[in-house]
Amino acid sequence: MKNAMPRLAWAILLAGCAAGCGNVRAYQREKLADPIMERESQFAKQTLEQKFFSTREGSLGGASGIGGGCGCAK
Amino acid sequence: MSRLLRPVKYVLLPATLLFIVRAVFAGGDQMGFTTYYFSDSGENTVITTSFNLAKKFLQQTAFLLDIELDQVTVPPVTAVTGATRPQRKINEPFEKNRGQVILGVEQGLGQNTTVAANVYRSQEVDYTSTSVIGTLSQEMNDKNTTWTLRGQYNADLVGKLLPDGGLVNNRKKVYTGSLNISQLLSPTTVFDLGYDIVHLRGFLSDPYRQVRVTNDQGVYVVVDELHPSSRTRQAVSGKLSQMIPEIRASLIGSYRYYFDSWKVKSHTAEVKLNKYIVNDLIFGASYRYYTQSASYFTRDAYVGDQYLSGALRTADYKLKAFGSNNVGFSLEYLLRGLGKLDPDMEFLQNSSIECMYFRYFNDLEFSANILQASLKISI
Repeated sequence: MKNAMPRLAWAILLAGCAAGCGNVRAYQREKLADPIMERESQFAKQTLEQKFFSTREGSLGGASGIGGGCGCAK
Repeated sequence: MSRLLRPVKYVLLPATLLFIVRAVFAGGDQMGFTTYYFSDSGENTVITTSFNLAKKFLQQTAFLLDIELDQVTVPPVTAVTGATRPQRKINEPFEKNRGQVILGVEQGLGQNTTVAANVYRSQEVDYTSTSVIGTLSQEMNDKNTTWTLRGQYNADLVGKLLPDGGLVNNRKKVYTGSLNISQLLSPTTVFDLGYDIVHLRGFLSDPYRQVRVTNDQGVYVVVDELHPSSRTRQAVSGKLSQMIPEIRASLIGSYRYYFDSWKVKSHTAEVKLNKYIVNDLIFGASYRYYTQSASYFTRDAYVGDQYLSGALRTADYKLKAFGSNNVGFSLEYLLRGLGKLDPDMEFLQNSSIECMYFRYFNDLEFSANILQASLKISI
């Protein structure tokens, strides 16, 4: 964890800098709303695909969906 | 009911419910239905049916409901899978059902802020999970930047079915926090950055999984696995989504670095291409690569009397070092064309049907096929 903290700090700093990069007007966002961009709602449920990986591998995270525990994840 | 009829039951019942709800709700609401079939190299199968509904009230309030039903079948001979079973079922097929419900309320606060509260409940014969989830989303910079903060508390009961049919429960608590930042970089590019932290305390083993130990006399003994009683897990992830208007396609690349207090570390990289074949038909192809290290208490063999008492030991393949690959294909048909044919069909404008297939395989000689079909309707 000690070694990962500087990397995490850089990641957050990068995100903060990126916040000033885009200036996309509302009328320019039509393409971003296209279904092929797969923009997932932050309030949606975790997909079944995401759940499959979290129960078959020793890692988690990186998914935006809402989920919880189950016997399959022991 | 025979296995052939089970998918019919899991499709007809939710489909009927879907059409009833369609008749009741209207006006900017959304609902979806998904059915999922999984089978692996150990002949384990899972059939999942999921139904979800988002109903809007007033201007900025939405009610969310999600119901999921799983049926898991484990054959008599166990293999390298995530499916374990009670000892009394070791020599026969084991079937297990799970029900899951998520209820939620989402409230907009002004133009740029949204808060949500969800309750999650999962119930199966030997595992219960209950959690509360709070989410805060804030848009900034003329909606070019979105910050999302989430907190979650889980209280789980990890049960073990005894040979006499009794049930012994152990407690597990999980605390989760996550932060996601979404940034528009251009009219065709979006970057997402995420951080997740999960802290678990309590019973973190599988009560059915057993470890083979060679004692000091050289005799094999089988004992229950023993994991530490706490674990802190963290992940940092990034995703870049790029629209390519010239060929009506998108390219999405993502990477996740994971690490935890059990010394498991992993790298996950995924790339996906989505392409319009014709106006309303989207073809998707994806590839995912994964590699992880083992936990500090994973051993190829446990030798010594210390493993018969308090020394940590595991039979969980998810704590071994391994790599995996996942290849996926999907077809999504947008129903917006049908929605234009008749005013009564207008609800199909933001609706779609999708079929997906994934082939997963790792270097522990485990593989799986996953089929998924989804119907999404805006009403």
